[in-house]
Amino acid sequence: MRQAGAIAELIEALRCLPGVGPKTAQRMTLHLLQRDRDAAGRLSEALRQALEKVGLCAQCRTLTEHSLCEYCASPGRDRSLLCIVESPAEVLAISRSTGYKGLFFVLNGRLSPLDGIGPEELGLDVLEQRLKDDGVAELILATNTTVEGEATAHYLSDMARRHGIRTTRIAHGIPFGGELEYVDGATLSHAFDGRKDF
Amino acid sequence: MPPEAPRRGDPSRVLLDHAYLLHRRDYRETSLLLELFTLRHGRIGVIAKGARRGRQGFAAVLQPFVPLLVSWSGRGELANLNHAEAAGIGVRLQHTALFCGFYLNELLMRLLPPHDPCPELFGTYRGGLETLAAGEDLETALRSFELSLLEAIGYGLQLRVEAESGEAIRPERLYSYRIDAGPVPAGDEADAVHGMTLLALHDRRFDTSQTRTEAKRLMRRIIAHHLNGRALKSRELFRSSS
Repeated sequence: MRQAGAIAELIEALRCLPGVGPKTAQRMTLHLLQRDRDAAGRLSEALRQALEKVGLCAQCRTLTEHSLCEYCASPGRDRSLLCIVESPAEVLAISRSTGYKGLFFVLNGRLSPLDGIGPEELGLDVLEQRLKDDGVAELILATNTTVEGEATAHYLSDMARRHGIRTTRIAHGIPFGGELEYVDGATLSHAFDGRKDF
Repeated sequence: MPPEAPRRGDPSRVLLDHAYLLHRRDYRETSLLLELFTLRHGRIGVIAKGARRGRQGFAAVLQPFVPLLVSWSGRGELANLNHAEAAGIGVRLQHTALFCGFYLNELLMRLLPPHDPCPELFGTYRGGLETLAAGEDLETALRSFELSLLEAIGYGLQLRVEAESGEAIRPERLYSYRIDAGPVPAGDEADAVHGMTLLALHDRRFDTSQTRTEAKRLMRRIIAHHLNGRALKSRELFRSSS
């Protein structure tokens, strides 16, 4: 049965969410309209507010409600450390599970020439300006370990070198609690090449 | 080398062809859309259904620059990937060599038409990646691949004799390369190259920095012509490293 009007519109709109297909979207729609109209009101208000208020941090380009995000605005953080990540989710992951006290810079993507994403599309000129002016002493490259992430890391390390800034790359290898037998070959060979004095 | 012929009576099914992944992107919730460069079927597009869910080994192996053995089925533009396994240890490209690898992939994506088998070009690609990984002679690897690619798509270069007179190319003389014809003796064109460079391209051996520079400039102009003016993104990566 094909519906029209506001209901169909809502079903279609909900399908933009990751993991939501037509069936799920329909279930969500019916739930909101039939059983929980208050929640539907709150949802639409929250969405409107968030869309209005949340933007990118002027310095690090993570998502924030203010002109500077809480990391960039905090006086207690070490401004000589700058950690490069691909997405805001990784800012959260790193600050949640490491003791990192420096600042972040979010690329919101990675270099991927075959998708038409080059240095310009990533806005790397903004980063370069920052490396020039900002007294950064160490650039920590925390891009993903995909081929594109590696290319991005190499590109950024060249950039940092031009400004005489030390660069480090997060280690990759065996996951904690992992057993060698079940680790895929590429990871294992990386881990083997990256072994350290013990 | 082909381990098995396609199953009789089912021509749409291909078993264990050698391949390299050129490009992958997410498709729907759990699938991947892949562009593969295969030994026996040229460049093809396949869907790897459910590759991003569970079965982790599957997605992990689908990386650029890793030699693969792949099986797929289906006719038409997009086939279904049934199986993929690594056919050896992938080359690990670092830094400039990695940018060069992207460049090779971008050239294949942009210039090689799909479903056009070119086993020789496949060999050149494989050899090129190995040269890049060894960090030896990046420029020779790039130029050799560019020349082979142009040959494979029917735009091979004429490098030993002049276009109009058919006379042998003389190393010390200046030539102007006409894309639709071949080299002709140069007047005062800015993009003239020495005969030496044309012969070096023919032999895929570049001994002097002059032939390297001229060969690079000439190939860049010819490739730009075949791309109809669209720029190659991977070239932008080289700006900071060179």
